[in-house]
Amino acid sequence: MAANVPLLESDDVLEFGEEDEPKGRFKHPMVVLFHVGFRSAALVVYMLCGWFDVSFIGSFVTTILLLSIDFWTVKNITGRILVGLRWWNFIDEKGQSHWVFEARKSGSQGRVSSTEARIFWTALVVFPVLWGVMLLVAVVTLKIRWFVLDCIALSLNCSNLWGFVRCKAGGSETSVTDSVKNMASSLMRQQMLANMASMFTRSPPNAGGSNSNV
Amino acid sequence: MSWDLWGPLILCTFLAVVVLPDGREIHDGGPQFAEVFIIVWAGAAVVTLNSKLLGGNISFFQSVCVLGYCLLPGCLSLIVCRILLFFSHSTVAFIIRFLVSCLGFAWATFAAMMFLSDSQLQARRGLAVYPIFLFYLVISWLIVSNTS
Repeated sequence: MAANVPLLESDDVLEFGEEDEPKGRFKHPMVVLFHVGFRSAALVVYMLCGWFDVSFIGSFVTTILLLSIDFWTVKNITGRILVGLRWWNFIDEKGQSHWVFEARKSGSQGRVSSTEARIFWTALVVFPVLWGVMLLVAVVTLKIRWFVLDCIALSLNCSNLWGFVRCKAGGSETSVTDSVKNMASSLMRQQMLANMASMFTRSPPNAGGSNSNV
Repeated sequence: MSWDLWGPLILCTFLAVVVLPDGREIHDGGPQFAEVFIIVWAGAAVVTLNSKLLGGNISFFQSVCVLGYCLLPGCLSLIVCRILLFFSHSTVAFIIRFLVSCLGFAWATFAAMMFLSDSQLQARRGLAVYPIFLFYLVISWLIVSNTS
């Protein structure tokens, strides 16, 4: 039984027994739920209280509470578990502050499920955009109290987004634009290779292309 | 020294919720609520920028963290003022509240000075301390004026 050598240059070797995992099932369903749940709850509370004229202070405090819980959860838990990235800041003895961005090497402790990664990044990007829209609405309708809340929400969400983008982009050595370009070109390369692979493995029906029983 | 901003956030929220003047409904909140947030965070940022521009050797978030945590004396004096207000509205009580707020203000300024002026050169210490003094003065004034 020859081992399946992957065509792509990646060390994401499937663990024994994982080949049969059905696509779309989450490896960490609770983590995904919490990742999206707190962010959505904060936005929903904000919108409902703004439209239904519930007590301003109650809604403000609840939204801030949910935003803080979401920030902490995404930074410390869901980022680590869903995509293997983490970032933090530490002060050394000389009083200098250092920002550390780390990415887990693929294959060492289990692969990153692509569905979960997609959900993670989607939620990370969509919510700052939504909060930005809320901010614009608050500015245009001149609601200064809600504007303050929007600023807080935007800063919390964007700092997580920024931190994880820096992690993905490979830490503090390379500049972010260069790393994003690298990511885009490697993505295109992978896509082209995958297309070629599918062309070659899609053998015509009456050709003896199968090499499974040697 | 490692920093975190959770303490300042909790203290700021507490300050904003409790500092509302009597008679105002919780429902409305008035401008004071958002005002407290703006004063605290924008004020802390400006004071930090000032120290950094004067050549201070402290990181931005560390300084904001210290300024935020030094809101604690202000919160304590606010609690005392509130309790006093519950009992009486007389002039004597006002004088006591005023003195308590002054005490809180002095404590907060002193504590922040201890943390932040170490990173400054001797000649510029006054320039660095003055914004801290103003910052806590504004907050203490908020506390006294809104509990009258």
